[in-house]
Amino acid sequence: MKKFLRSLFERVYALREMDFLTLVLVFLLFLVGLVSIYSATAGRGDIVKYFVYRQAIWGTIAFGAFLFVFCVGHERLLKWSAIVYASVLFLMALVLIAGTVSRGSQSWIDIGTLLHLGQVRIQPSELGKVALSLVLASWLSRFPPNKLKNFLGALAIAGLSGALVLLQPDLGTAAVYGCITLAALFASGALGKYLAILLSIVVGCMPLGWHFLKEYQRLRLLVFINPYLDPLGAGYNVIQSRIAVGAGGLWGKGFLKGTQSKLYFLPEPHTDFIFSVFAEEFGFVGSTIIILLFGFLLWRLLGIAKIVKDKRAKIFIVGISAWIWFQVIESLAMSMGLAPVTGLPLPFLSYGGSSLVSVGIALGIVQSIYVSTKKQYRLTLD
Amino acid sequence: MPHKLDPNKNRIQILRLLVVFSLLLLIVALFRFQIIQADKYISLAAQNRLRFIRLSPSRGDIVDANGAILATSMKVFNLMGYPQDLMKKGRLQLLERIFLRHGIPISKKKIKDIIKKQYTVPYNAVTVLLNLTLAQVSDLISDPEFPEFLFPLPVMRRVYPTGNLLPHVLGYVGEITKEELENLGEKGYRGGDVIGKAGVELVYEDKLRGEYGEEAIEVDAKGRRVRVVNRKEPMPGEKVVLTIDLNAQSYAASLLGGRKGAVFAMDVKNGDVKVLYSFPGYDPNSLAWGLSSKEWKLILKNRDKPMMNRVISGTYPPGSTYKVVTAYAALAEKKISPNTTYYCGGAFRLGNRTFRCWKKTGHGTENLERAIRDSCDVYFYQVGLEAGINALAFWSRKLGLGEITGIDLPGEADGLVADPTWKKRTFGESWYLGDTVNYSIGQGFLLTTPIQMARVFAAIANGGKLVRPRLYMGRAVEVQDLGLSNKTLSFIRKALYQVVKSGTGRPAGRYGVEVSGKTGTAQNPHGEDHAWFVGYAPSKDPKYVAVALVEGGGHGSSAAAPIVGQLLSFLCNGSR
Repeated sequence: MKKFLRSLFERVYALREMDFLTLVLVFLLFLVGLVSIYSATAGRGDIVKYFVYRQAIWGTIAFGAFLFVFCVGHERLLKWSAIVYASVLFLMALVLIAGTVSRGSQSWIDIGTLLHLGQVRIQPSELGKVALSLVLASWLSRFPPNKLKNFLGALAIAGLSGALVLLQPDLGTAAVYGCITLAALFASGALGKYLAILLSIVVGCMPLGWHFLKEYQRLRLLVFINPYLDPLGAGYNVIQSRIAVGAGGLWGKGFLKGTQSKLYFLPEPHTDFIFSVFAEEFGFVGSTIIILLFGFLLWRLLGIAKIVKDKRAKIFIVGISAWIWFQVIESLAMSMGLAPVTGLPLPFLSYGGSSLVSVGIALGIVQSIYVSTKKQYRLTLD
Repeated sequence: MPHKLDPNKNRIQILRLLVVFSLLLLIVALFRFQIIQADKYISLAAQNRLRFIRLSPSRGDIVDANGAILATSMKVFNLMGYPQDLMKKGRLQLLERIFLRHGIPISKKKIKDIIKKQYTVPYNAVTVLLNLTLAQVSDLISDPEFPEFLFPLPVMRRVYPTGNLLPHVLGYVGEITKEELENLGEKGYRGGDVIGKAGVELVYEDKLRGEYGEEAIEVDAKGRRVRVVNRKEPMPGEKVVLTIDLNAQSYAASLLGGRKGAVFAMDVKNGDVKVLYSFPGYDPNSLAWGLSSKEWKLILKNRDKPMMNRVISGTYPPGSTYKVVTAYAALAEKKISPNTTYYCGGAFRLGNRTFRCWKKTGHGTENLERAIRDSCDVYFYQVGLEAGINALAFWSRKLGLGEITGIDLPGEADGLVADPTWKKRTFGESWYLGDTVNYSIGQGFLLTTPIQMARVFAAIANGGKLVRPRLYMGRAVEVQDLGLSNKTLSFIRKALYQVVKSGTGRPAGRYGVEVSGKTGTAQNPHGEDHAWFVGYAPSKDPKYVAVALVEGGGHGSSAAAPIVGQLLSFLCNGSR
């Protein structure tokens, strides 16, 4: 017991060694999210407070998860990565059986009412992003993908969770998993020819995949190519979102002054289209600042990956960077009508608890890695 | 942990550069839309003149068993406008002037309040005036000053042609409240929607409601409708057919004739409710069309409680109608037999307390059948003591007392079937034998609703089956077999037949149908006794059970029995 308390105290004390730049960047992005959620829901009367309030509580919970994971430490989590991954897979399978359908896919588990949050449901596929990064990091550091056998093994592991999200069906999240896997393989030194073959197979299979898509998914892809195909249905969002972004101009219309986002043109202005709301009100200047914040964050994360000596940690950080990167690119490009609508949240900004908690956990692990790396460097310097 | 020197440092640097490159591309794209093409999109947003109007569906009709319309919807007109147009300078003044000119006095401030209350976004239409008739609207529109930013929208309003004949069955509709909106958010309600507030309107809201439609229209710079972009037709609500017989209902109302009380009748076999009348009532039309808060207060403060449905929410001591339960309990527990006799000298002494019979001179020696017929209190005091309070409470509960009957109406009362545990918990006192004595003639710690007593008598009439009363024809019939003894039931039926043939219930039997039933006179601490009669007919093959309760009506025999007799005759023989 005493030993445990001591180690806990050490972990808490280690918090002061954290990378505060990352923390500040994330905090700023979260604040921007709160502002945008407020604006996105402002047209709906009293419900405004409800969304902002819930998001703030989720932010607190996510921060709690961050601290907890930090105290547990990356060493343990990487050691247990197989168990973590298996339990998340179990939850994802459970979702398919007992989940709640929302917005066309069965991705949520209702866990009843909690605190002041009202009805709470979690989305295990969000946790899957952390778990996948963990398990790939362990596997690839142990079995480097310079051998075909190891390369295929990693693909098989990732394929498990990928298949489960595709069954929901949640194409967007599947794409995130794909991106994480690809980045992890690349960073762990997969042979170039393997990667090239993999990519060409993926591209080659795309026409085949068309048959497996649901009607609404096809429509989303079609309207991406030509929004005026269904200007009042699926294409409407794309058109209106682009108008919102474009109408922002250089400086934006000002907080709460966006007219586009106050129309009912976006079914989910506080989640998927949060960036459109922000871009309309804060313009090119504001949007560029957001992109720069994300840029600094990703640069910093990959910077940590570079200096870390533990190979598993390296691959893990690359995995979660790929996840954040993909969602940022997809979400922003979608707002401008440059990518199909997928329903992926913009990390730290979009309304949603599961997504916040997952990135909180991921960053907790990264900070743990960072602190231990710093210690090692100090030891070598001594 | 062995740390290998990483050969892939370069790869991470490549990823880093890829990130920077991709984000730069995003900034370039933003630059294109927000700087180079900004004018185009700013004007597109400004021209975005889509307006959304909610189209209200026609609420489903409510009809009686014969198809007579009890509630329907009628087309009237609302004057609509968009907040962004209405709130411009001078426009409210203009409205005030025009409305006044056409006989609608409404102040500028009031109009402003109306708009504010409904405001969500400037692009969503709000209702400025409601419930205008076609004549009013055409009169207004023909005014040369009538502004183009106002437009009439046809809406359906609820009307109840039967007025105050069955408000407690139908309930009424009204505008959705904030709380309802929050609770029912999932079902797609919005502010200003009309929703069932009480009665069948509330219970079958989901069926009656229908689906709102929506119209997306494009308007020009002045707010005039240019074209309809998209239109989703509203779906009318379903028709709800009730088991109620409007003729019988109106006959029952005339029988009660303005006395406070309740009349209820249903089919003994399946629980189809034929009559459910509670007086005083209210006119649901006035509630559905909007009452001022002053009028509301007046209704709520009324000491006669017109909003209360006395049939299902009024709890009264059952009085002597309860004696059938006492009798059944004692017989079932084998404490007495039909031949058990007691002597009634007009009073019964227990310790130093005296309990009187309603007949001061006494009934002499009575057996069970005669005691039921004469409603002899002294006889039942002793039967009750024989059976004991626990048996009485047990059989009362078994027969559905002390719990709601499950009729498809909101606000049903449980009533009270007390026992020693209840008394201990509530008053901290032990149960006295005197309590049991009172209990056995339906007084004391015993409260029932009229509908519960009707159900008890239906069970006696139909051979021991507890029916769940239903108002909606589409609702499943639920009958629970209590497994009562047929011999005992048929004995009680015989006694109830004698009650009307030659006992206290004779006034019920004068209307051309053989009635069996029981009178009751419940002591009322606040005034005159309540008069009860519960009965069923025809005696040989019971079809309907009916109950009448007249608050402060005096004797069940004279005040309530004729109502039930006439109503049962009407139900069995049709109108004469």
